[in-house]
Amino acid sequence: MAFLSFLFRRLGLSLFVFVGVLILTFIVSRVIPSNPAALYAGARPRPEQVQEIEKKLGLDKPLSEQFRVYVGDLLAGNLGESYHSRRSINTDLRLFLPATLELVIAAVLIALVLGIPTGVLAGAYPRSPFDYATRFAAVAGVSAPSFWLALIAQFIFFSQLGWLPLGGRVSRDATLFYPIAAQTGFYLIDAALSGNWKAWLDAAHHLILPALVLSAYPVGITIRMTQASMLEVLSETYITAARAAGLSRRVILFKLALKNAIMPALTVVGLSFAYSITGAFLVETLFSWPGVGKYVTEAVLNVDFPVIIAVTLVVTLVYILVNLLIDLMQALLDPRVRLI
Amino acid sequence: MALLTVENLHVQFKTPFGAVRALRGIDFELDKGDILGLVGETGCGKSVTGRSIMRLLDENAEVTEGRILFNNTDLLRLSEKEMHAIRGDRIAMIFQDPATALNPLFTIGGQIYDVLRAHNPAPAEQRRKATLELLASVGLPDPAQMMAVYPHQLSGGQQQRAMIALSLAAEPEVIIADEPTTALDVTIQAQILDLLRTLQRERAISVIFITHDLGIVAETCQKVAVLYAGRVVEQGAVDAILADPQHPYSRGLLAALPRPGSRGTDLKVIPGNVPAGLERIAGCAFAPRCEFVMDRCHRLQPPLVSLAAEHQAACFLHEDPVHG
Repeated sequence: MAFLSFLFRRLGLSLFVFVGVLILTFIVSRVIPSNPAALYAGARPRPEQVQEIEKKLGLDKPLSEQFRVYVGDLLAGNLGESYHSRRSINTDLRLFLPATLELVIAAVLIALVLGIPTGVLAGAYPRSPFDYATRFAAVAGVSAPSFWLALIAQFIFFSQLGWLPLGGRVSRDATLFYPIAAQTGFYLIDAALSGNWKAWLDAAHHLILPALVLSAYPVGITIRMTQASMLEVLSETYITAARAAGLSRRVILFKLALKNAIMPALTVVGLSFAYSITGAFLVETLFSWPGVGKYVTEAVLNVDFPVIIAVTLVVTLVYILVNLLIDLMQALLDPRVRLI
Repeated sequence: MALLTVENLHVQFKTPFGAVRALRGIDFELDKGDILGLVGETGCGKSVTGRSIMRLLDENAEVTEGRILFNNTDLLRLSEKEMHAIRGDRIAMIFQDPATALNPLFTIGGQIYDVLRAHNPAPAEQRRKATLELLASVGLPDPAQMMAVYPHQLSGGQQQRAMIALSLAAEPEVIIADEPTTALDVTIQAQILDLLRTLQRERAISVIFITHDLGIVAETCQKVAVLYAGRVVEQGAVDAILADPQHPYSRGLLAALPRPGSRGTDLKVIPGNVPAGLERIAGCAFAPRCEFVMDRCHRLQPPLVSLAAEHQAACFLHEDPVHG
């Protein structure tokens, strides 16, 4: 019961955030000196053409009226149409968003699987060679530019070793001979659902390099956060008490201490998740990954406001949901956290 | 026959300002079935002694000299693996503040269960039963419900009972109780002391009881060692020492206790301060505060000498026939 009321209250609060973001981005898009109608019309339009388009798009109406129309469309589930390509944004996002989410989720999973155990051990053996090595790796992972990492990774695993493909989500062979039946847009899930294991392997192969490159930052930050909070937790009396009770080092580190230390790491991973959706742009470009990062960057360069607003709203939504999930996890982990 | 003997134990902490000498030659014996009180004020080395026995000192601490004989095995010479087999299993520990000594994110039952699992390969159902019995034996109401309760849902006294159950889980021979009642209020203190005494008697456990409270020593312990600045200054049977303290420091401590008859008068204090840990102490650490101080007290460290069958003190007053 407490859980449900917490959930509803949090969703209610989130709605405020969402509406705030909506209003802000909408206003910004209208006050920035640019001419959407001219953009829509294409190269060198005549003034009467522009006027006509303004009328068609409703840009001649007062701002409040425009906003009302936009919200109405939004409530109907319609994100509008790109001024540049004149394609439906819904259709585009259905294509690009799963690609990005698949990539980002893979990167975040790598961060958790790699970063947390590494951070635990680094925290358990402070000032050891392992600690210093992971500190170096973590700082390198956080500060190395992703395009540089991408180039190095491609050079090693594609050019030199030939183990992994250069880019794309699947190989041409896969699209031709065993195409993935699109359902969710997540290739790994779609391929698994239809039992298309050849395509699944192919998609997984393509996912490895970009996911690894994208995970450099979350891995680094997960290691650092886990290490720092492990250090703190390991100095607590209950850890001394556990040692005095003769519990094994493995149980103490990975059960008793980690449960106390994991929350800060999960929090930053959650934040980096939302950040990576748009931040994945460079990685997506270098690996020819048809994702949102690339999509929104083109929209920004073209001052394509409907797309910019739509992507902003989607990212806001993901951000809200991820944070909600993390709060729930915290309540699940810590009985002292009351859901208020 | 002593179960646990600490001999000439020296421990120092490395700090950026130099080595802090926390223990400067601790000697005492714990006999089987006894409760030995370690008393002294904050910083005298009581807790460090307890931690040294468990080999759970902080990383910057170092045992520089001495032996800790447990059943004739020197614990300081054991490998970490051998020591691990002793912790909890043969020597267990109870801590000052149960609120911080219990893991906040695990249920009481789960924490005891973990300790049982670490020491005893019994099947799960049997372990569950053992957990319930332990919870009942420390006087916690409704053990079945206690299994699923988190530490923050218990009162301080209940938390300490749970901590005691946890320390008893592997049926240790020795329990080191580090100020187990200091964080509790007085009525609860009495209950916990009672529980400890009962369990100690029933299970024939030997206890090292670390405290700064002479009253607790009087009601709980058979033997006592009075610590001052990292050394034992006086030790022996509690009755003898409380009735007739021989070291000037113990005398000062006892004189400082408020008594019913002294109502309205100022409490007696020992003038001066405990020496700082970084100070080099050549002679008796208590010399600067001692009213009977002699020349050699500043130069030589007085050894522990026997005054009676169960009474030793480290003071030149008792070696010198002139002052004897």
